[in-house]
Amino acid sequence: MVMIIIDGQEIEAEAGSMIIQAADKADIYIPRFCYHEKLSIAANCRMCLVEVEKAPKPLPACATPIADGMVIHTVSEQAVEAQQGTMEFLLINHPLDCPICDQGGECPLQDQALGYGGDVSRFSEGKRVVDDPDIGPLIETEMTRCIHCTRCVRFGQEVAGIMELGAIGRGEDMKIATVIGRTVDSEVSGNAIDLCPVGALTSKPYRFTARAWELASHDAISPHDCLGSNLNIQTAHDTVKRVLPRTNEHVNECWLSDRDRFSYEGVNSSDRLLQPLVRVGDRFEEVAWEVALQRAATALSDIGKAEGPGAIGALASPTATLEEFFLLQQLMRGLGSDNVDHRLRQRDFRDDSFTALFPGTELPVEQIQDAARVLLVGCHLRKELPLVALRVRELCRMGGQVAALNPMDYEQNFPLTEALVVAPSALPAALARIAIARVDQVEVPEELRQWAELIPDSEEFARTAKMLSDVEGEVVVVLGQIAAQHREASALRAIASWLAQHTGIRLAFLPEANGAAAWIAGCVPHRQANGDGVPEPGLNVSQMLSARLSAYLLFGLEPTMDLAATGNLVSALSDASFVLSFSAFRSAVPAQADVVFPLALFTESAGTYVNCDGRAQSVEAAMDPRGMARAGWKILRVLGNYLALPGFDYITADDVRSRVNLSLPEVVCRLEEGCPLPGAASKSVPWSAESQRFERVVDVPIYDVDPIVRRASSLQRTRDHSLAAVHMNKEQLLALNVKAGDSVRVIADTDEVRLTITPDDRVLDGCVYIPMGSAATAPLGGADYIELKVVR
Amino acid sequence: MLRIFIRFIKTYFLWELLRGLALTGSRLFRRKFTVQYPDEKTPKSPRFRGLHALRRYPNGEERCIACKLCEAVCPAVAITIESEEREDGTRRTTRYDVDLFKCVYCGFCEEACPVDSIVLTDIHEFHFEGREGTVIDKAGLLAIGDRYESSIATAREHDAPYR
Repeated sequence: MVMIIIDGQEIEAEAGSMIIQAADKADIYIPRFCYHEKLSIAANCRMCLVEVEKAPKPLPACATPIADGMVIHTVSEQAVEAQQGTMEFLLINHPLDCPICDQGGECPLQDQALGYGGDVSRFSEGKRVVDDPDIGPLIETEMTRCIHCTRCVRFGQEVAGIMELGAIGRGEDMKIATVIGRTVDSEVSGNAIDLCPVGALTSKPYRFTARAWELASHDAISPHDCLGSNLNIQTAHDTVKRVLPRTNEHVNECWLSDRDRFSYEGVNSSDRLLQPLVRVGDRFEEVAWEVALQRAATALSDIGKAEGPGAIGALASPTATLEEFFLLQQLMRGLGSDNVDHRLRQRDFRDDSFTALFPGTELPVEQIQDAARVLLVGCHLRKELPLVALRVRELCRMGGQVAALNPMDYEQNFPLTEALVVAPSALPAALARIAIARVDQVEVPEELRQWAELIPDSEEFARTAKMLSDVEGEVVVVLGQIAAQHREASALRAIASWLAQHTGIRLAFLPEANGAAAWIAGCVPHRQANGDGVPEPGLNVSQMLSARLSAYLLFGLEPTMDLAATGNLVSALSDASFVLSFSAFRSAVPAQADVVFPLALFTESAGTYVNCDGRAQSVEAAMDPRGMARAGWKILRVLGNYLALPGFDYITADDVRSRVNLSLPEVVCRLEEGCPLPGAASKSVPWSAESQRFERVVDVPIYDVDPIVRRASSLQRTRDHSLAAVHMNKEQLLALNVKAGDSVRVIADTDEVRLTITPDDRVLDGCVYIPMGSAATAPLGGADYIELKVVR
Repeated sequence: MLRIFIRFIKTYFLWELLRGLALTGSRLFRRKFTVQYPDEKTPKSPRFRGLHALRRYPNGEERCIACKLCEAVCPAVAITIESEEREDGTRRTTRYDVDLFKCVYCGFCEEACPVDSIVLTDIHEFHFEGREGTVIDKAGLLAIGDRYESSIATAREHDAPYR
């Protein structure tokens, strides 16, 4: 610590920090444009010039390290003159048409021009004009307004990991332009909008629709991934105008992924369901809430009496809130059925009785950048949890190493020390190889050896194991969504747990969306709220669909796209005598529904989200629900009253929340000791060009994860959307004698879709990549093997 | 004694009334100030703040750029604006409503407008035949602007030296 004097105020500051940092800590204002606390120091805007005693000229406060006894003046004549001079130069080429600029009213340049600018321009020459490139559906450009602070460039380079924007040219000719492709496709690109201190980069969907001063701000939590990013929802005239990040260093820092930032367009979608519906013949009729509730209650109690409560099953979308999960399971258990589940895309439930209270990360998210090694297993981290990927990138910048074991050579935005790519069916075997190589001097269980022997040993497994050992600091093994949705997910979890038990390695089992809250609230067939057991476990998702129940409650999901087991879906819903759908969107209602309740979305409903750290975050509703839609917890509460179930007298969401213990212990997600390792699956059928049978790499693309995101129109125009195709590598294209753009019939069991071929060298031989989550691939569900028939 | 006598005279000979009649009589033959409204009208200041109008440029393009400064400055919250990007990429309003019952005719909107689009004309004779007429929408405001553009422009020209 050193003592410095700023404007006569004695300040103790950390040695080596910059003047601007010391001043910020002491709440002394220094104007700035290019300096940002999360980015490197560029010192190219010169707005922060201050007078330092004994220095011949004013010095930039952002790039001048403090020294003991330094005397600094930020408002002296010399400093102010320098700042005013800088402002005059900045305004030379900046247009003076704030009223038509979207940044007007929230623009640092506008604000600081008021403080430091002259009242009349002395510049009478022509101003610089720069073309506005179209850089994608999310960011609008007006590059004439750019003041070359390079915050966007530094963000891409340093934080996002992909330098999509760069500064081209020098002096008057300098301009910010895309340097790789023509568009900015990063999944965190929207942060450039927040960073830009002028109106050069603004939000395209929000463009010209509102002014900062007319917007009301509300706190919200993002429901799209298990990070629970803190949102600032800004509304006007009862619509969400835009979403900004709310800084929370433990969760999202000051960033936001594009999915969280632009998904509000789904909330404003014209597809919203505004009125309860009941089936009359083969069409739906709009009815009052009382009619719909009465119809649903009567049908449910009739089926409960006639066929037993076990004939009723409930499926919840993992994006629901803790309160909704709790009330749904309370309703089902009140009816006498344990058939309630939220793990819509999970297919392997064999380890249910050995799972921890909830899946999560044993190393808190905010400490991930301080870890030494990370192994990603079945995890496209960059698209699954874009903001955690930024922290992993930070880890790499600090000297950590990351390895990935994936069914496809996913592009990550951090360097991979080892990129292991194996066929999807070989994921457990490869993890077993790494685990055996990493854990020595411990007897290897027979089942684990069997798993490992499914694939030949290779040098890279040993290298990865070595990478995970012999380091100071935390080592984390992350099992992502591809692992969680794997056909042998319980084997993957068991192998990872065995590895963690015999080493100091920490685990992370990433839940889907608000899945952690669903586990805690008891929205699983084998546990009640707070992890209490049930006498006899109910049916899980896949059992519910194959058991052909008489009544289904579908809470917030779009059945054809949110379920992995879609094969049974249509017949299960058609055979059911009663289907109750809670849906926010008209087109998400299955044709077989009998009663439909319009559901409020995350902006319109109070609720609690539990992220993968076990951090419970509660928010109030930001706005009234659209039309007659109501918050899910209110609908379930009233439905409970209609069914005359005890304990449904909640008045607020807080009352519901208080039934769940949210003072959670430190996350331990590994399987309990004693969990048997499932036996090794048989080897997969080898691929041959003749059979045209392929192993399918399947994941859910970033903008197809839930019904809200699927209706966010701008996100649906990004490059990350157009993935619904058959991706295969070029050798296989030749072997099959097809070319890009050809149409093929893709057959999985009895279902079939027609898709086009896309060359994709990330895919291994014998595999094709066909994502799920979109209408085009919905009939395939999560099928692991598919047959291709070329359409000639 | 004298005071009592004077009071007697004033009381019984209607002195005050006669004085009043004398004043009336004297005014009866002087020049009249009365304006025979609505046949006659007094001149108005170019700064008169009457009914609102939205102006256009001579080429027919609407002036308003949806900056929303008038909405922000309005002390009576009488202006409601919704805006979006027009097909040609310019910033335009899709809705511009003025609630004439809320408006206090302060003229702040006109002062805030950077493009002289919203103006208060010298029209002060307007009426409503129903509740719905109290809010003028964008089309109505532009129609007023189109109809009275010459007088609006003249008034601005007269006032220009003092702005």
